[in-house]
Amino acid sequence: MTPSVSVIEVLGPGCARCFETLRVVRDVVDEAHLQCLVQKDESVERMAALGVMRTPAIAFDGKVVVSGRIPKAQEVRRLLGLA
Amino acid sequence: MAAYNVVEPLSRWISHNLLGLPRGSRSGEAVAFFFYDVPKILLLLSGMIFLITVVRSFFSAERARRLLGGKRVGLGNGLAATLGIVTPFCSCSAVPLFIGFVESGIPLGVTFSFLIAAPVINEVALVLLFGMFGWRVAGLYVASGLAVAIAAGWLLGKLRLERYVEEFVWRTSFREGTDEARGLSWEERFGQARQAVRETLVKLWVYVLVGIGVGAGIHGYVPADALAAYMGKDGPWWSVPLVVVAALPLYSNAAGMAPVLQALVEKGAALGTALAFMMAVVGVSLPETIMLRRVLRPQLIATFVGVVTVAIILIGYLFNALL
Repeated sequence: MTPSVSVIEVLGPGCARCFETLRVVRDVVDEAHLQCLVQKDESVERMAALGVMRTPAIAFDGKVVVSGRIPKAQEVRRLLGLA
Repeated sequence: MAAYNVVEPLSRWISHNLLGLPRGSRSGEAVAFFFYDVPKILLLLSGMIFLITVVRSFFSAERARRLLGGKRVGLGNGLAATLGIVTPFCSCSAVPLFIGFVESGIPLGVTFSFLIAAPVINEVALVLLFGMFGWRVAGLYVASGLAVAIAAGWLLGKLRLERYVEEFVWRTSFREGTDEARGLSWEERFGQARQAVRETLVKLWVYVLVGIGVGAGIHGYVPADALAAYMGKDGPWWSVPLVVVAALPLYSNAAGMAPVLQALVEKGAALGTALAFMMAVVGVSLPETIMLRRVLRPQLIATFVGVVTVAIILIGYLFNALL
């Protein structure tokens, strides 16, 4: 399926909450067979460039959609326009 | 609340009738303490975390950054420390938050006040202290945490340590982020609160059990007033610095510390000494310090830890003198 988003970034310094967020995002992407790139970014420069002050954060094509919390799978689906 | 009232008799029944441990015996007292504290603390924790998360959903790091924007040192430190308590913040966010604050022109000392207040005044610890000692001790804890954050932040600001912040931080341009606290519905705030309760319980239950276990051990096995000579009000002058320095490498969760604190005070430790111990364990955490290394040079990290330690020691003395 062709997604509306091509790059999903999960931003966080590498704590448990960030990995949990990455897992939620990966699960949703895999489940929907989306052809988009999911990447984890631990660099503070990237967080600053996107204006992220609270992690974990998720950005779609460079736009922050979630910050400072672990979203539920349902919310990620909705943000991706899947539900 | 109804559940609350059955807990005490139930804990007595489990330890004395079910397990057959005699009343007044060491093991009997320790086990009863354990079974009384575990459900009590877990109930209290769930209720209060829910409330606190709802309140916190009105605050955000983005809002704190805007509020602190034009503020000068002094007033700024006080405001930063206060916002540090109410702004939802996990220690993993220390680094991006630091960059966001410093980059928007918030003075370094004011930023530190925020970064110190957030972990030192821990909502879980606050809830537990309130449940175990009442509002006076809980209030004292907040006041002392604020004092540490304001004083340490102010002093760090005075020391002109900007040159020890990693070079790239000043070059970074921080984009204005989206404010998550805006436009949430009550349903969303309650949803976040339920999630926070679940996450807190999942994350903390081990700490709570271990903490209560240690507390129960002290309760049952350490004779009353055994600690008075060392950690008591009239103990030696070096007792406060000693417990604070001993506490620095220990990293536990506030949830685990509160039951230990209760048991220590019960055995004659002075409240100021015990609070200083807890703030040192909870406030100066190794993981957070390691993460801050990415933006701060070692000299600044050392100064930061040193100043916070001294501030906690002074607060310990102050409360021992006042109470």
